[in-house]
Amino acid sequence: MKLYKKEGNVIQILSFPNETVEKGDYLLIEDTEAAKSLIAQVIDVQFASIPGILEELLRSLPDGGQPIQGEDFDPLEIAPHITYIQDASLLVCKIRATLENDNLNPSTSWLPSRSQSTIQKLPIPALTKLAKTDEKLPIQLGVTKDNSLLAIDASSLDGRLNIITGKKETGKSHLSKLLMLNLTSYKATVVVFDLNGEYQSLGMTQDGKRNAYHDKIHVLTPSQNFKAALKQLNLHVLLEILIHALHLPGTSAREFRRIWRSLKERDMLNLHELGEAIRNWHCNQHVRDALFSRYHALINSGFFTDNVAESTMLEESLFRAKEHGGAIIVNLRNTSSIDRQIVVEYMLAKLVELLTANRLKAIFLFAEEAHLYLRETYWDDIVTRMRHFGIFTTFVTNQPDTIRENIYRQADNIFLFNFTNEHDLEVVSRAARVDAETVKSIARDLPPHYCLTLGKVVRDFPMVVKVKALDVKTMGETRLFFKDIN
Amino acid sequence: MVIQQHTIATTQKYNFPHPTTDTTLPQRLVQLSLQTLTHTIPNTPIQLNQQVGNIEPNTLQLNPQPIMLKPKYEPTIVAAVDTSNIKFAETATGILIAVRGANVWKQNHNYHYMRFGPLIFHITEENKKQLYETMQKAYLNTLHLQSTPTLQQMPTRIANLLEKWLQNMLTKTITNGLILFDGSLTSGTPDTPITLMRETLQTARKHASAVLAFSKMTTLRFNGHLITDIHPEYSPPYMLETTGLRFKPPITLFGDIYVARLTKGNYAFRLDIDKEINPPQRIQAVEKLLTNDIISQSYPETLRLAHILCTFTANEVIAMQHFAQRKHGLKIVNRPDMHRLLFGSFGKGEQSA
Repeated sequence: MKLYKKEGNVIQILSFPNETVEKGDYLLIEDTEAAKSLIAQVIDVQFASIPGILEELLRSLPDGGQPIQGEDFDPLEIAPHITYIQDASLLVCKIRATLENDNLNPSTSWLPSRSQSTIQKLPIPALTKLAKTDEKLPIQLGVTKDNSLLAIDASSLDGRLNIITGKKETGKSHLSKLLMLNLTSYKATVVVFDLNGEYQSLGMTQDGKRNAYHDKIHVLTPSQNFKAALKQLNLHVLLEILIHALHLPGTSAREFRRIWRSLKERDMLNLHELGEAIRNWHCNQHVRDALFSRYHALINSGFFTDNVAESTMLEESLFRAKEHGGAIIVNLRNTSSIDRQIVVEYMLAKLVELLTANRLKAIFLFAEEAHLYLRETYWDDIVTRMRHFGIFTTFVTNQPDTIRENIYRQADNIFLFNFTNEHDLEVVSRAARVDAETVKSIARDLPPHYCLTLGKVVRDFPMVVKVKALDVKTMGETRLFFKDIN
Repeated sequence: MVIQQHTIATTQKYNFPHPTTDTTLPQRLVQLSLQTLTHTIPNTPIQLNQQVGNIEPNTLQLNPQPIMLKPKYEPTIVAAVDTSNIKFAETATGILIAVRGANVWKQNHNYHYMRFGPLIFHITEENKKQLYETMQKAYLNTLHLQSTPTLQQMPTRIANLLEKWLQNMLTKTITNGLILFDGSLTSGTPDTPITLMRETLQTARKHASAVLAFSKMTTLRFNGHLITDIHPEYSPPYMLETTGLRFKPPITLFGDIYVARLTKGNYAFRLDIDKEINPPQRIQAVEKLLTNDIISQSYPETLRLAHILCTFTANEVIAMQHFAQRKHGLKIVNRPDMHRLLFGSFGKGEQSA
């Protein structure tokens, strides 16, 4: 390989056919004179612009498009040299760091010698060692293209905002499960909003036996083993639900506050009394109707109860997870859109309440297709305010445009699976932790289950990894109509 | 010194009859090529002979009455030869040159080719004389040694040697065909001895083939105009016959010269046809060419392909430089262009000085 050109932080390297370099590979450009090296990542592989190539191609097809038949008597065997030159490729690389005295720094301000520099592939293990990506609490993500294991440090997810995205059936949920299970094994508390009920069986192996995570997986199904006792509810939590999930107008909310306080003063806070109070409250008929319709929505959700004993499951699970690590799976499958929002509003409010009271350390929240249950204003809340309470979110989506641009800008880690759609790639490329060219060029060519890992987990060295298999019952597969036929 | 021997199978691979042919030229060329790349041939002084000039006195007459051509439908093999040469690098002691030749033939509506080369030679002042003499003795069958060309002339001379051999091969292997040469049927020049040209044409006639030589460029003029610029108001295809052209000895014309305008458009070429073939057969040969080959811009496709296939592309030049450096450890010298160096953007380069 030979250094050809450098423009900004893009470096072009001439590579010959016997040097197999692919997109995503890292190269070490070593200048012994300067005692420094550049670490660059290949983001595109192009044909080298060799003069005379067009003539070569044209003359091989002169006969009406059919290749002309013939033989070459080439006693000096020049032809291999010709193909060697013809097949030379140009590696477009992004400079990621400078290596000097075994220390990495992001500087790209120096220029290595074009004639004296030596260029070689930098194996991923060597890079991760230099970058110290798997220091204390390693999480094995999978294998890189050169079959070396890639591990990230669980602490690099701590306090971070993460996004897992990619088109359908590329392995997003699989990675999300891998991350959350590994976090639980480091005694972290994980909460998952499980939209499709695919996390419920993570405590089982593929053949239906209990696995190491079995005792750490706590599945909460709203209105079944997960309910909220009205007595234990804070007014502001219920108001959040009424206003944001059930769209209660401001005037009606004001009346509801009065009703609630009145019942609380009389220690009559239960579902029946709440209904009666709304019925008999002196207020505008429209307000009463509005309150009644919301009241019935709450009742119909089945999520609220007067029995305090029925509502202890969440806290119990959270405290158990706090002690030993565990995942609280909020099963939102078979839950209507409104009920989903009620549950999520309640859950987030409850978490904030427990975190504020220091009853929980911090939690890792995994939200699948969050746009289906998270209200607009919560996005900023999660990224900014809730972060300070100790809720560290990982968004999982196959529709990157459902996540706002400011979320991408603030994301600390992005796990990017294949996207072919230009628009999707454009959205993801707005992430602050990586350049758009890298995202667009590498993500487009990722095979299924290969993930481009960006951000702090890889110390800003984007790495492609094939996510390792999990021996858990994932239940995320699509239910097929013609399954039996095949 | 051990010279690597290569097993060479050339004419056997043609898709047409295989008479006994002389296949030794490529073998010897390969040996010489390797020899020049691996060591320097000792200097042996030799008396230089004065080269004979190729002077064309203005005696040419052009018959304004065209010979109208009617395409003659008779399946005939059309074959063509061309060679190419290039100086692709300089070393501290000389130059690196490459030659390549191509035979192309059209048979049963399909084009086929056989390419020879690239053969690379490292020519120095020390080895050029011996190299050239060895080739001349072996292949041109010359009794009088021609003067040794300058270093700059060597690529053309070696390519000519290869071309003459390829032409000879075609005449020996093709029967009842049309053989197209690039250039003219003039001989007596340093690289085209009279005997060789005579032998080549005789062999072609013996195999009932007609040799047609197309010149892309000519200096022949009639009434002050280049003969190829004269376009009488007739609809092509036609030929204009010339007469009266004489050369100073030893230059000898083995063909009669025509101006061939085979398609519509402003393209016409000097066409030399073996003068030993009787005139009706000459016309018939061109008429058969019209139907057995694609004629575009008055030029036969077979000859065009031969040219295209042997021409060196920039990519091949780089590959040959790579070969010379990697395989034979020759150090290529990048000499500065003094014109560019002295005059900057006003210097147009050595070639156009």
